[in-house]
Amino acid sequence: MRGNDKRSAMSEKLDKHILKNGMVILGEPMEAVESVAFGFMLPAGAALLPEGCCGAGTVIADWIFRGAGDKNNRELGDALDGLGLHRASSVGSSHITIGAALEAENIAEAIKLYADIILQASLKEDQFELVRQLAIDGVRALDDAPRQKVMLKLRERFYPSPLGRSTLGEIAELKTLTAEKTKQIIKNNFNLSQTIFAFAGKYDFDAIVSQIKNLFETDQQEPLKSFTLGSKAGKYTHLRNDGAQVHIGLMTETVKPTDENYYNARVAVSVLSGGMSARLFTEVREKRGLCYAVGAQYHGLKEASGIACYAGTTPDKAQETLDCVMAEFNRLADGISKEEIERAKVGLKSALVLQSESSSSRAGGIGSDYYMLGRVRSLDEIKNKIEATSVDSVLGFLRNNKFKDFTVVTIGPKEVHPPSADKS
Amino acid sequence: MEFKKKILANGLAVIGEINKSAKSSAVGFFVKTGSRDETKQINGVSHFLEHMLFKGTEKLSAFEVNEAFDRTGAQFNAFTGEENTVFYAAVLPEYLVEVTRLWTGLMRPALRDEDFNIEKSVIKEEIAMYKDMPSFDVIDRCRSLHFDSHPCGNSVLGSEESISNLTAEQMQGYFMRRYAPNNMAVAFAGNFHWEQICSVVESSCEKWQKQAVSRKLEEVPGSKKKKRVEKSNLVREHICLMSPAVSIQDPRRFAASLLATIIGDDVGSRFFWELVDKALAEAATMQFGPMDGTGVFCSYIRCSSENVSKVLDTVQSIFESLSRSGITEDEMRTAKNKILSALVIKNELPMGRLIDLGANWIYLHQYRTIEDDINAIKAVTIDDIHSLIKQFNPGNFTQLSIGPVKAS
Repeated sequence: MRGNDKRSAMSEKLDKHILKNGMVILGEPMEAVESVAFGFMLPAGAALLPEGCCGAGTVIADWIFRGAGDKNNRELGDALDGLGLHRASSVGSSHITIGAALEAENIAEAIKLYADIILQASLKEDQFELVRQLAIDGVRALDDAPRQKVMLKLRERFYPSPLGRSTLGEIAELKTLTAEKTKQIIKNNFNLSQTIFAFAGKYDFDAIVSQIKNLFETDQQEPLKSFTLGSKAGKYTHLRNDGAQVHIGLMTETVKPTDENYYNARVAVSVLSGGMSARLFTEVREKRGLCYAVGAQYHGLKEASGIACYAGTTPDKAQETLDCVMAEFNRLADGISKEEIERAKVGLKSALVLQSESSSSRAGGIGSDYYMLGRVRSLDEIKNKIEATSVDSVLGFLRNNKFKDFTVVTIGPKEVHPPSADKS
Repeated sequence: MEFKKKILANGLAVIGEINKSAKSSAVGFFVKTGSRDETKQINGVSHFLEHMLFKGTEKLSAFEVNEAFDRTGAQFNAFTGEENTVFYAAVLPEYLVEVTRLWTGLMRPALRDEDFNIEKSVIKEEIAMYKDMPSFDVIDRCRSLHFDSHPCGNSVLGSEESISNLTAEQMQGYFMRRYAPNNMAVAFAGNFHWEQICSVVESSCEKWQKQAVSRKLEEVPGSKKKKRVEKSNLVREHICLMSPAVSIQDPRRFAASLLATIIGDDVGSRFFWELVDKALAEAATMQFGPMDGTGVFCSYIRCSSENVSKVLDTVQSIFESLSRSGITEDEMRTAKNKILSALVIKNELPMGRLIDLGANWIYLHQYRTIEDDINAIKAVTIDDIHSLIKQFNPGNFTQLSIGPVKAS
């Protein structure tokens, strides 16, 4: 069993194997669990889709589960459910990730089914129509979820095209999407040479490697065409909705995960919004009672990164809330106390350990590290890098990288007026 | 895993399940009080009071409380429901004592007027936030329609009006009546030293005064009323169905949870295959909500306005087929696998374990191991499920929907 000693608890091991075709297999063993979580990261995220196919990722992530190998839709669903696995599919900017968490003894059976889903999905026409309808309904339903919608719209306008493309899709483009076109995307983008298979928990690595080898070792596939970054949309967008609150989304650029200042940026965001004593919560909620929900997070893509902030408030307080949030961003570089930095650091380090107890978060963590950095950081490395930051390093970073352009999106009954923002 | 317990002279239960291989610890104060313990006049006070606990003690200001928690790196928060108010933290083992001391202090809050007034605005913002989340709003409204005038139908948040009218004195009175040590349990899960943590709790809490505290329990059949609410800013139809079920004390709760999984798990259930897979609805789930002395089956369905009658007809035929032909062996096996694996995965985190540990104590005064629950689920038979369907007839439900204004 894993000891009580913190040092040994942090020094986890990484299992790694790369197939001849380039597909990467990564595993992190966890001694204290009976479960295993896995994810296949397929290079078919929203930014990698052809023009005019926004939403195809959502369609694909559903369609491939509707029959594969020798099983029809119902048989496949029953087989997956029969293993007691908890499915987790997501469509991001760079990948469609399909995976699950389950009891360790069922992993081989689950991988077999997922290999069929990835390599031999039935892709029946009648199922396509249903899947497309559900995707369209999903976009429509977003109008009833302004809090989610504002963040989706924010990323769309903040990131240079096509990075921020909506992962749910656009109704007009979903309406013209065909089964043929979607099949072509699957053929092109389910590129095994750029696929990462990551898992964490209880497993036998050799057994998994040999199974994956049998199922996925093909010839090397041509790399996907890379995209060129376009322009950003306007700085301020308001979408009218006669709901109870104005939902404010605000985003500004910061360094990428590969940057040497990455940890300074993470600590800075934590000073701003790490815990309940952080700046945003204290100033916006505790002192002024402007919001119930307010917070900022680091949002990192490989090509660009930002700090995304959300605040929801009733219409009469919307302007004051935005002003207050922006003031907190802007005054961060003026000064940060040693205590604030210490709290930010301990918060980040503690979150790291708490997440390391969950097989799902570790599987996700090692997969995304490998994609972003080309390697997996150990928890010790992350911990030491956080530890190495200081008041001087964070302030130095903030002063050399002043927050400049803010992208703001609001949804609600009332507009706000961001300082010096052009409306789109 | 090792279970420990100590009941202090004033009735406060201290319980813990030690898992030496865990990297973290979790602590939770479970107070047996929620919106069902409120009168209409003070509706929302339990939840408001939960917020006020974070505002500090005679010795600590709200800012000092937040800083003290954040210095430990704890992931801490609280939630209020119809029946319980729970304050919790997940933390690295070396900070557990500090965080426990903080919580024990906060359980005797200052309830200052100036904090009360500013937090009132925050509560009103929270009420507004949930109004913009129709999937929550519809369940809240349906609960109130289902339980009719019974206090189990009280809204957790309260209304804009009840919160506006609430006074600090009313809150103080409610606090005195409900936050009695004999109406609470403090639970620990994960990696910790029992004797040490127990003495921390004992020294901080032994002076709390025992109170006469009660809650009236009864089975509630539910109103079976049907109602639709229109909101001009909505585009989808949000439907909630609620029907009676067994209570949290009833041994048939495991069967009830399997039945809800068979009918309305988010994938692979009857709702999934008949409604979502066929693109009639984009969401359709059912959950079993066991409560103190009563319980509900609660379904949430979201679809287009055009599909509403088709969806409701389909739901009706699903329930009819269940009453007529019951469930299959395959459905039973699959549902058991799903629930068992969810149980294993959830309990791998001390924070996940804490909630079951505390709830079992609050409701059953019992320690149940994960294996006890696993065995209870494995032991459920198809006949158990069939007799539940027969007795509770989930097809006879209260229905509330919220959707766009219908074109006249």
